[in-house]
Amino acid sequence: MNTLLSIRDLEVGFETPRGLLKAVRGVSLDIPAGQSVGIVGESGSGKTVMSRAAMGLLSGSNLRRSGQVVFDGKELTAMSPREVRDQFGTGMAMIFQDPMTALNPVRRIGSQLAEGPRIRLGMDKKAALKRSAELLSLVRIPDPEAMLRKFPYQLSGGMRQRVMIAIAISCNPELLFADEPTTALDVTVQAQILQLLSELRRDLKMSMVLVTHDLGVVANHTDFVAVMYAGEIVEQAPTAELFANMKMPYTKALLDSIPNIEMKSGARLKVIEGRLPNPVDRPKGCGFVTRCSYAQQKCHDEHPPLVDAGSGHLYRCWYPLGHTIARKP
Amino acid sequence: MVKLFREMKISSRVSAFWLCLMALFAVVGHWIPLPDPREFDIDASAVGPFSPGHILGTDAGGYDLLSNIVNGARTSLLISIVSVGLGGFIGSVLGILAAYRRGRLDYIINTTFNIMLSIPNLVLGLALVAVLANNADPAIPVNPNRRMFVIIVSLTIVIIPILGRIARGATLTWSNREFVVAARSMGMKDLNIVLRHIVPNVLPAIYAVGFLAVGVVIVAEGALSLLGVGIVDGLSWGAMIARVAGEFEYAPQSMYVPVLVLALTVIACNQIGDFLRGRLDVREGKI
Repeated sequence: MNTLLSIRDLEVGFETPRGLLKAVRGVSLDIPAGQSVGIVGESGSGKTVMSRAAMGLLSGSNLRRSGQVVFDGKELTAMSPREVRDQFGTGMAMIFQDPMTALNPVRRIGSQLAEGPRIRLGMDKKAALKRSAELLSLVRIPDPEAMLRKFPYQLSGGMRQRVMIAIAISCNPELLFADEPTTALDVTVQAQILQLLSELRRDLKMSMVLVTHDLGVVANHTDFVAVMYAGEIVEQAPTAELFANMKMPYTKALLDSIPNIEMKSGARLKVIEGRLPNPVDRPKGCGFVTRCSYAQQKCHDEHPPLVDAGSGHLYRCWYPLGHTIARKP
Repeated sequence: MVKLFREMKISSRVSAFWLCLMALFAVVGHWIPLPDPREFDIDASAVGPFSPGHILGTDAGGYDLLSNIVNGARTSLLISIVSVGLGGFIGSVLGILAAYRRGRLDYIINTTFNIMLSIPNLVLGLALVAVLANNADPAIPVNPNRRMFVIIVSLTIVIIPILGRIARGATLTWSNREFVVAARSMGMKDLNIVLRHIVPNVLPAIYAVGFLAVGVVIVAEGALSLLGVGIVDGLSWGAMIARVAGEFEYAPQSMYVPVLVLALTVIACNQIGDFLRGRLDVREGKI
């Protein structure tokens, strides 16, 4: 299986008055062609920054980025911003978290949607609008011709997210980053949008990176999962393997915090107590140590390396689940 | 245009009508059969409004006020529209550039704006006209076109930082929005992002303040006249006010007529600016 996007030792930091805020610490990940990879983690774990940095969308004078990103055989991290830009749209595209803010409020859907085909694919206005209407019907929007003339404020959240998806796929990207595409939507619409994304990915033969905080979403829509915590990948495995054979207590805690239909009514949801470690001045040792119910002295003292458990399963834990050592209850 | 007019409330309609009337005066004013603004009527000096032959009356020198208003509209509107248009364009380009690029360029442009804002308008205009379009010997007449040009330039310089800062502020809020990142993630060039995504969002703010600025400029032109460095031929609203400053007691209409016209024009500009801002801003939505 050939790799479409390869991320090696990606580090992203932001210079702040309090010191260097390290949002991503040495992430390495491969996105195979034609597959869907999920990136899971709680808020602030660096998922969004990681995916934007991988694409090269971050900018600013306080940004510190290092590492290597290779897309389709081209090393993005060695290219000029102009060359990287030429990869966008046709090579990589991104669907954003909040469809309320990711559409320009003062322009009609049609002109925003036709922009990519016109500028990146060099279509004339008529052809681009025709393509826009096709894209809208591809994302199952009824009466696409009428939709082209509407403004974003006239659309519901789910409709806007469909439009965002249509914009992202308008230039036939090979790799689609979906950054929490359903977070801002109603639960009833979430499933439809995810289903749509999965079908589009299959039909258009795209690869996809699905960033989410919901392990349930990942289980149904990805081939491979990377769990991020405090800017690091703490566990990664093929999806089936991960759910069958969890190693990292954090992954387990994430899974346990999903509400279950068999729970008694009135029962308390399980939460992961505590907070993420301070990203500016992080204590040595495992980042999860203060919140982990299995933590030992070693976890406080030494930072765990990524351990290979075979069949593509890597984890970052001194005492993985299923370990024989006596644990604190 | 008709559709736009139908959407207006009565106050906006009156304002639109008033501005159209002033624009009409400005364009065809010297063909309207009225007394020559520069010839005095020896039999009717300082007559009040609605006098026979002088609808708005005359000033103490016997000059017809309506004729002066009509003919003065050309200069007043020309100066204000040209300087606001030019200053607004330059200011917006600089402001948007500064806010979009940030960094050192932003620092330089923003500091320049602040320095320009700290110079009082009238002092700047006075200094420029005195140095560039004045003769030390009052016997030698000043070239009117040169004087007009310098006045427009100085008022443009006054407008640049005002609208420039508005454009910069609006761009700062819009350029960090997700749709700009989204456009970048589709491989748009910076120029395209600015023209297609930022400018349409920034324009409503510039319109609103731009119309306000027209009022400011009309008043500033009047103030320059009052200081003796206005339009040479004396045919502008400001020049009218300046000329009659001493005769307010025996010909009050010579003061309040031009002041009223000037005030109404400024108010109408504000009203239309406000209407356009509301009309062009689809973000507010009408559901």
